[in-house]
Amino acid sequence: MEHNGFLLEQKTLEGDLNSDTSHKNSVDFLMNWFRKRSIFVLAYGTGCGAIEMPPTFTSRYDAERLGIRGAATPRQADVIIVSGYCSYKTLRRIIRTYEQMSNPKYILALGSCTVNGGMYWDSYNTIKKLEDYLPVDMYVNGCMPRPESILEGFIALQKEIGEGKASSWKKYEENYEFYRKNQEAILGKKVEPSYDADWYLYDGGL
Amino acid sequence: MFNEIKQRFATDDVEVKRNDLYKVRIKYSRLFELMHMLRDEYDYKTLNAITCTDWIEEGHFALTYMLTTEDRKYTFMIQTMINREDAQAKTLSHEYKQAQIMERDLHEMYGIDFPGNENLKELSLESWVHTPPLRREFDTLEFVTNHLIFREGREDNVDTKAETKRLRAEKKAQKSKDEEVKDGK
Repeated sequence: MEHNGFLLEQKTLEGDLNSDTSHKNSVDFLMNWFRKRSIFVLAYGTGCGAIEMPPTFTSRYDAERLGIRGAATPRQADVIIVSGYCSYKTLRRIIRTYEQMSNPKYILALGSCTVNGGMYWDSYNTIKKLEDYLPVDMYVNGCMPRPESILEGFIALQKEIGEGKASSWKKYEENYEFYRKNQEAILGKKVEPSYDADWYLYDGGL
Repeated sequence: MFNEIKQRFATDDVEVKRNDLYKVRIKYSRLFELMHMLRDEYDYKTLNAITCTDWIEEGHFALTYMLTTEDRKYTFMIQTMINREDAQAKTLSHEYKQAQIMERDLHEMYGIDFPGNENLKELSLESWVHTPPLRREFDTLEFVTNHLIFREGREDNVDTKAETKRLRAEKKAQKSKDEEVKDGK
């Protein structure tokens, strides 16, 4: 059957996904297949790029047809999107959120700011290379990347998951000292943000 | 109003910036007197903003207080200079509630102290221990180079300007060559 329009796009996108056969055994294959086809993305926008996420997940681009959908809390999520520039203050929250997520977990970094600082390359308050502080599975460059690019980034991630190559959480566990050292270098000894709401009640509000 | 200000505060530095925007420069010691006068006699009841400019060469900060009338029609800018070293200004947070957060911001970004303000904790930065970032002696590029790791360029990284120039020259040469061939025919 010949496809055109929407169906053609879907076929092109998924073409890469179905072709892979490099698995060790059928259990691995099945596990990876389940994982790649049900990606729960944490609904957490960390920068300007978060504006591209709603169209990606809603009807216009409809990421759910590829098995990608939102998750409400870090404990339920598989993927965290670091969308755009990442200031020190945000980095603290991202680290805490990432460490709360359960394995397997992946990081999708969006926009040129996460790659090399982008237009904030000489800003005193944003990091330049995300992979120094957290393990990144997939970079999607652009400023900002369109939903199409985000979808392609997801497909590439799904492909790596299907092949069993995406294992950044293992990397984080194995090289924790390296990441922690880098985090402490810019955030100080206390990396985690404080939890309490005292700042609002007793600190004079905002 | 202008004459009264000129006489009472011995200043000639009154400017009409726009038909609804006035500006005056006065000494810091007379600042609050002028603000009270404008508030009580001329209805400038709202404090819109406190802004700061860093004049590093002259060695002072210029603080600008913007006051607006109750009917929101007129704005008065009062500019005053304070010393740049151990910069200090009296707080306005007891008279204008909104001044509290403005002063907190100035304290964070310029290191100006406002004795009497109850809360001068960090506002948008977190555990910042270096020079306040908006002071002009703070060298952003130097700070970034010392504290953060840049990504190295790609191996095939080329200087874009030189490369564009080279490509253009190549294209031009090719074009003239083509034209010569054409003319030859």
